[in-house]
Amino acid sequence: MESLPQSTAQLMSPWNPGVFALAVYTCAVIVMIALLLYITGHLGPRRENPIEESPYESGIPPTGSARFLYPVPFYLVATFFLVFDVEAVYIFSWAVAFRILSWIGWLQMSFFIIVLFLSLIYVWKKGGLDWGPEGGVGTRTRKPGL
Amino acid sequence: MGTRGRRRDEDSQTRTLDRLDQVFNWAHENSLWPLFFGLSCCFIEEAATLTARYDMARFGAEVMRGSPRQSDLLIVSGTVFKKMAPVVFRLYEQMADPKWVISMGSCANSGGMYDVYSVVQGVDQIIPVDVYIPGCPPRPEALLEGILLLQKKIAARERPASPVLRREGGTEGSVGPILIDGLSKSRDTRGPGYEGVPKRGTSITPPLFPGSRSDLMWVPPAPRIRLSDADRSLLSAVAERFGDAVRQIPQTTDMPTLAVDAGSIRDVLSYLKNESKPAFERLDDLTAVDESARRRRHPECIEGPICNREVGFSDFTMVYHLLSYNSARRLRIKTALRGEKPSVPSITGIWPSANWYEREVYDMFGIGFEGHPDLRRILMPPDWEGHPLLKSYPYRATEMAPYTRFDAEAHRSLDAKYLVEGAERKDTILLNYGPQHLGTHGVIRFVLALRGELITDVGTDIGYHHRAAEKTGERQSWHQYIPYTDRVDYMNGVGNNLAYLNSVETLAGIKVPDRAKYIRVMLAEFFRINSHLIWVGTFLHDIGMMSLNFYAFREREQIMDIIEMITGGRLHPSWFRIGGVAADLPNGWKGAVEAFTSVFAARIREYEKLVNRNPIVKARTVGIGPLTSREAIDWGVTGPNLRASGVEWDLRRKTPYSAYESFDFDVPVQSAGDCYARYLVRVEEMRQSLRIIEQAARNMPPGRHITDEYRYTLPDKKDTLNDIDSLIHHFINVTRGPKMPVGEAYAAAEVSRGEQGYYLVSDGMNFPYRLRIRGPDFANLQVLPRTAIGRSISDFQAVLGSMDYIMPDCDR
Repeated sequence: MESLPQSTAQLMSPWNPGVFALAVYTCAVIVMIALLLYITGHLGPRRENPIEESPYESGIPPTGSARFLYPVPFYLVATFFLVFDVEAVYIFSWAVAFRILSWIGWLQMSFFIIVLFLSLIYVWKKGGLDWGPEGGVGTRTRKPGL
Repeated sequence: MGTRGRRRDEDSQTRTLDRLDQVFNWAHENSLWPLFFGLSCCFIEEAATLTARYDMARFGAEVMRGSPRQSDLLIVSGTVFKKMAPVVFRLYEQMADPKWVISMGSCANSGGMYDVYSVVQGVDQIIPVDVYIPGCPPRPEALLEGILLLQKKIAARERPASPVLRREGGTEGSVGPILIDGLSKSRDTRGPGYEGVPKRGTSITPPLFPGSRSDLMWVPPAPRIRLSDADRSLLSAVAERFGDAVRQIPQTTDMPTLAVDAGSIRDVLSYLKNESKPAFERLDDLTAVDESARRRRHPECIEGPICNREVGFSDFTMVYHLLSYNSARRLRIKTALRGEKPSVPSITGIWPSANWYEREVYDMFGIGFEGHPDLRRILMPPDWEGHPLLKSYPYRATEMAPYTRFDAEAHRSLDAKYLVEGAERKDTILLNYGPQHLGTHGVIRFVLALRGELITDVGTDIGYHHRAAEKTGERQSWHQYIPYTDRVDYMNGVGNNLAYLNSVETLAGIKVPDRAKYIRVMLAEFFRINSHLIWVGTFLHDIGMMSLNFYAFREREQIMDIIEMITGGRLHPSWFRIGGVAADLPNGWKGAVEAFTSVFAARIREYEKLVNRNPIVKARTVGIGPLTSREAIDWGVTGPNLRASGVEWDLRRKTPYSAYESFDFDVPVQSAGDCYARYLVRVEEMRQSLRIIEQAARNMPPGRHITDEYRYTLPDKKDTLNDIDSLIHHFINVTRGPKMPVGEAYAAAEVSRGEQGYYLVSDGMNFPYRLRIRGPDFANLQVLPRTAIGRSISDFQAVLGSMDYIMPDCDR
């Protein structure tokens, strides 16, 4: 029973990184994709049809192109996500070295988190988290007139 | 190698192709992917086919696809409208190859009972069809049979291997020819083989019905209302204020009527809305009548002596129906117009709701409106020629040029940029939301102007479901029109039967026996529950909760079985008759009704458990799409949508008809006016309808199911076998149809979606002279989608779902 850790290790597959398996896998993927591309390109009748090639939009020919000015909030949300996601990287690495860094590290980390927290509150107050381009959904007055 | 070797080679090739054919066909037939596509009534039965009872998944056609790119089966379920045909054609072209088409129901097969100017006489004129399913609508079993037939057709007739390998020969998908009306397909409505025999006798040919024998019949004059003191004081106040510009029309059967000069129409209506006592807050309806085919203008068409030849008819009459909430009274205003294309002042400044109504009159009659902000066609396509409700316009599609594939390719809907404001802004994207969309519940097109996900404007394009119900009314006899009323609202057909018959019976003063009234109420309430069930299922589906749909259809099928037991039909029973109903209740009806009433209350509680404390449902509905009571009244909103905005108004209570006065029920009201309030009102209404059904079943009076005054009605069959008087009435009323007294009547009924009014004008013939349908959804759709402006696109779907509109009732 004392050899439990060893038997557990035997249960798991050993970590033997090898190039062969990766190569086989890569080849399989390439062959598969090539085959699918070939089949779709060379099998089945080909018909030229402008209606079929135009975009589907509820059965009506679309107006305007899909390349319009994209509203900023989509980027804002993406940026905020990145900024606040990166903080997690620092916090995790600090957790690993928690004992080595001692109380000094703790103080520095707390300062870091507080600054981030304050900036989150700032972004929130500024309306950066509200959805929609004009100060968020539901803030505009509606007009059920024609 | 000799010829023998070559032949052996070819043989083995053929064998390989055969085997490949079998493999491909097996794959095709067992994995059909239908497009989530419906045009009208038939789609309700198609939807029922998907649910647990019929379970279409058993046949390898499981999930309906939202996009044509993912589908290879187009089930054309319903009427192919000329405004919609280019869309159908486009969808078909955008589907993946190989593809198949099932034509479901009489309308898609041949135009069915809609041989009218706005309907394509069969979808096979624009796209090829594999399987035709007859029925109006076909039952779910029939659709399943159609799918099985298509599978057999694929296995037996198709050879897809050659086309897949890009070789000569072979077939896959639909190849059927596209037919041309009149060339490769008979245009005769009686079927092929009648060439040379004149169509339809002159006496039933609109608009003049030359030589009609109805002229020789006598009927008592239409009943006349007695004016109350309040009516008289109102009329004298109006007379005092406007003098000669306003005259009272003495002979009316339903409500006080004033004739007003066109010049002072705006002043009079503004006075009636804002100053008079009582104030008429609501514009119930606005329409016109083309007077050019009046009987007495055309003595040459009348057989026999002409008495009382009146002259001095105007060319058009504008008709305004007003309603006063406080006193529950109605008032009719008529304005005579002269000339071929007359015009009249617009009243959009008084009631904003007049906007669409005036556009419709312009579209249908060509009458202009001075001061209208946006006068253009509303129901017909923008490039349509002529004004269909003119008496000189063709009545039938088979009298017009055939609709061909070329037409479907050449016509298109108005571009989205003309339907919304702010389309030219660089950061705005225009999105077509319909007519083919899962969330629109019918063929209607919205155009959303979006900045990101924020809706900055909503444009509404209706008319894709214009089935010309009003024009049809002018060439179907009073009885024959009943089946058309079912189809004005395919969720609540019986409610429309009742609304139409209310008007007919008011016009001729027909007394309906109590038993018939109770049967009518009971069936109407069953259909109200039925309609609300579908609504609650689809509404919650729209906002992401799928489960309730399955429960709702379970109860719906139980109701359908009761309806079938009593009437013999499912969706469109057409079972009411002038003066009563078609037959007495069958043996065992009470047991079936009680089996339902004993479980349904618990079922409603089950729904509420699923929904009322669900935080997601609440987040999606509370405070979304609010409408104040003031706006609701100004825009003519009716039904549960009005009651959800805090106005306690239900015609069954305020102006009781068909024995509703003897039933005990509550009128649920909510004040918030948002999507959640609309949900609460409808669920409570189901409970109240249940109470009414219980009372009707418990207190069902004995007696006749149809009146014994046989002048206007189809007599009870057993009477016709026993006495000659009944037999003569049976003969006349079945063939020629009853003659109605000269007059006009407007009566409305509270159907599941709101107030359904039928305005009938009779010229003393066996056909209505003008038949006008005031549908609740025309008014509701004008304002409610716009409550989503300033919100995100997901809220728009919640607002649409919460409204409970139905397109045949909006577009008629």
